[in-house]
Amino acid sequence: MSHRNIRIVVTALVLIGAFTGLLWSTLRTGTEYFKNVDEVLPQKAAWEGKTLQLHGYVVPGSMMRKPDSLEWRFKVQNDPPRGATAVSTNIVEASYTGVVPDTFKDEAEVVLHGQLTPTGFKSDNIVAKCPSKYEAKDKFEAKAGS
Amino acid sequence: MASLGSFLLLAAFVVCSYAAVSAVVGARRGSRRLVESGVGAFYLVAALMSAASAVMINAFLTDDFSIKYVSHYSDSVQPLFYKITSYWGGLDGSIMFWVFLLSIFGSVAVYVNRERHRELIPYVVATISTVEMFFLYLMVVHKNPFTTYLTSAPQDGNGLNPLLQNYWMAIHPPSLYTGFVGMTIPFAFCIGALVTGHLDDSWLRAVRRWTMFSWLFLSFGLTLGMIWAYEVLGWGGYWGWDPVENAGLLPWFTATAFLHSVMVQERRSMLRVWNVTLVITTFFLTIFGTFMTRSGVVQSVHAFGDDPTLAKLFTIFMVVIVVFSFSLVIYRLPLLKARNELDSWASREAAFLVNNWVLLFSALFILFATMFPTLSEAVTGQRLTVAAPFFNRWMVPIGLILLLLTGIGPLLAWRKSTLTSIRDQFLWPGSAALATLALVVGLGVPVWASGLCFALCGFVTGTVVQEFWRGGNVRRRNTGTDILTAIIGLVGRNKRRYGGYIVHLGIVLICFGFAGNGSKKDQTIRLKLGQQATVGAYTVRNDGVRASDDGQKQMFTAKIAVFKGGNQIDTMYPGRSMFRKHEDEEARTDVAIRRTVAEDLYLVLPGDMDLGTQTISLQVVVNPLVDWIWFGFGVLAFGTGIALLPERALSFATAKLPAEAASAATVLTLVAALLVGGARPASAQMHVADPNAAMTPASTPLEQQMRTEIGCLCGGCAHEPLTTCTCGKAQEMRAQLHEQIAQGKNHDQIVEALIEEYGGQYFLTAPLDRGFNRLAWLVPYLAAGFGIVGLGFAAVKWSHRAPAKTEALPANDPAMEDRLDDELRSLD
Repeated sequence: MSHRNIRIVVTALVLIGAFTGLLWSTLRTGTEYFKNVDEVLPQKAAWEGKTLQLHGYVVPGSMMRKPDSLEWRFKVQNDPPRGATAVSTNIVEASYTGVVPDTFKDEAEVVLHGQLTPTGFKSDNIVAKCPSKYEAKDKFEAKAGS
Repeated sequence: MASLGSFLLLAAFVVCSYAAVSAVVGARRGSRRLVESGVGAFYLVAALMSAASAVMINAFLTDDFSIKYVSHYSDSVQPLFYKITSYWGGLDGSIMFWVFLLSIFGSVAVYVNRERHRELIPYVVATISTVEMFFLYLMVVHKNPFTTYLTSAPQDGNGLNPLLQNYWMAIHPPSLYTGFVGMTIPFAFCIGALVTGHLDDSWLRAVRRWTMFSWLFLSFGLTLGMIWAYEVLGWGGYWGWDPVENAGLLPWFTATAFLHSVMVQERRSMLRVWNVTLVITTFFLTIFGTFMTRSGVVQSVHAFGDDPTLAKLFTIFMVVIVVFSFSLVIYRLPLLKARNELDSWASREAAFLVNNWVLLFSALFILFATMFPTLSEAVTGQRLTVAAPFFNRWMVPIGLILLLLTGIGPLLAWRKSTLTSIRDQFLWPGSAALATLALVVGLGVPVWASGLCFALCGFVTGTVVQEFWRGGNVRRRNTGTDILTAIIGLVGRNKRRYGGYIVHLGIVLICFGFAGNGSKKDQTIRLKLGQQATVGAYTVRNDGVRASDDGQKQMFTAKIAVFKGGNQIDTMYPGRSMFRKHEDEEARTDVAIRRTVAEDLYLVLPGDMDLGTQTISLQVVVNPLVDWIWFGFGVLAFGTGIALLPERALSFATAKLPAEAASAATVLTLVAALLVGGARPASAQMHVADPNAAMTPASTPLEQQMRTEIGCLCGGCAHEPLTTCTCGKAQEMRAQLHEQIAQGKNHDQIVEALIEEYGGQYFLTAPLDRGFNRLAWLVPYLAAGFGIVGLGFAAVKWSHRAPAKTEALPANDPAMEDRLDDELRSLD
């Protein structure tokens, strides 16, 4: 291998190494785990402090709000609140300050962005999907088929 | 009609296969007639696709809800404009629109280059036809947009998603698709050059303009997407690193890299393998982007949803592209050898090389980060995601490096820059950068990245101004004209170079706007009636919230008084609309934006409000310098336009003799005068939300009806109907309408009177359905006519080539016939 080729290979290796190292270090702090409630609850302590996207459903009747403020408290359960498994054992308390989406209602499927703390899940962003979405679709199909 | 559409798509598929096969067979056997019949078939595909598009648009216009696609994306009350744009509102239609564009672009490209690049044409035709075949196959087998309901059709459709019922969103997809689809043409020429071995620089000349054109539309599409996100989605920003946004950005980076490295090849015959690779990669990324957003592989807010079959077909296609293209490249490596070597790192080609690496790295990084959730799930079984902060941490420094290179590249000489020339060239731009930096530090900027960005903006601007100034002065001395004429002449003689510098200025302005993000303020507050709060320099007061309904949607509008420095400067009306048939979705936010050169005040009304006590939540965002991004795009488009101008444009200023050239300054003055004159009335009518523009109820049903028919002319609100626009101009127009109504005039009389008043009927939201305006409604029929004439034309051409055709058929006959039978059977 000529002198020039060695130089090229070494430069490439150094560059690749540097980028991989940078990528690795930024990924360690930048990644977020997408988890369901029942995946997190058994090892609560292990997940505390990590940025999570927590998937679950709003427990009906659990939504509370401090009057004249944007502070919310509610509970999230692992399984859809409707049907046979209406009573879920995997429930986590959650808090949130800010504007909630219109679709944030009882039974709504939610993805909470935030961190688990000993007092519950502290969320800084909520994405919610309305529970009636499927009904609407059925209604349309029924109308179309009739 | 639906069966006609399906038939046209099927026919297009069959003709396409014929075009591909006969072109290649003709080229290999050296039969020119066979090739020409392939080219004829290729044009025919464009005609067939035009006809199919006309059928689709006609179905939307006539509310043919028996077609599933129409009933999903349109309804009877939708305005005409959105009925047409619904064509590409969903997955199936967007694929069809894709093929339509590709067939048109391909035909134009083949027609223009048919003489100059005769040896490449058969393979260009074959490549484009193959791509078309893939998409047509998707439609015919899997996603036919003309699928009808087997039983009775619904009475009315679902309507287009309210978020998409927006002016920007209506033109965003077509321009993005134009950019994506246009990238197929360079790829096709590249494959042609690789197959034939004609790997001199001539194929590059054929695709340079196409790449630039596609790049312009890609940039336009991305900008429109940002404007849409900013004005409609209402989260306070314009870029969220969503997978769909990233999908558009990936080919943009590689195409930008290609536009730069192509110059190195032309000038120094270097980077030949690299250029071929970039063209292939860009094309691959357009297909990959489509795959990513349409197959459900990546979770996104506006992806089209899960579709494993589609994912499988796309994967096969992408593997074929990669394997085939890169095998060709490896096969042709001996022909692609560089004829020169890099002389010095202090040279322009080295700067281009580094710029290319950084651009390619950006594309790869975004690709990696976008796919990261999918990758991590596949590898570790856990779904890990990365969000905007991760992207920003990487892309901000990368963007700054790119901006720096934008300034350095033009200052370096080809081959090797001497130390003296470097000192001479960098003196002024460097001083500009330092001066800006000093100014920025003096004023105090909270974020270091923004400060650095401002300094680099100063640097690049210095570079561009210096290039124009020095070049202009040299030319002035040589031709003896004034500096203005000299500069225009300079641009005229080297459009690509100086157009490129103007594009750089546009990039500077865009980066200037991005840097403003560093001092963005974003707060959400809870306000009782009459309560006020302060965000940044602004104080906002809740003056109540009102509910209204216009049949299509229910609207909530808050009245917010805005104060700055103790004085009321504005009243703003943020609102939200709940659309019928879309109640279970998030309401559409009607963001109120107060634009100024320095910063935008951006108010969002969240749904969380109490109508009883008139208590609202309010998101207040102060976005500095945002509007410079849109303005920067305008400059960028202007620069690209200059680079795209034909050879002989601007010849009046490029003339050697001063007598001919002297008119440049005069022409320019005239143009400037026209622009100023034209701009005055427009600027006098800016869209300003007016405190007195409260919506008085319509006195008669006619008045209410006509309010929906008349669009506001303020020029700042996307021509909203008088029922919704809140500016002073709309108020004025409502009063005018009311006056006419009070005089007891009927509908047509009022329209007549207003046409006289405004000197045209542009004030109407939809053109009148009579006389000349029938033309507007005729467009789809004209397109159909065009398609049929094209068919006839092709038929005539075809019949002349009859012997060639019979010769051609055996080559693809059995397979083709079988497939045709299969297709026909599945159609029954």
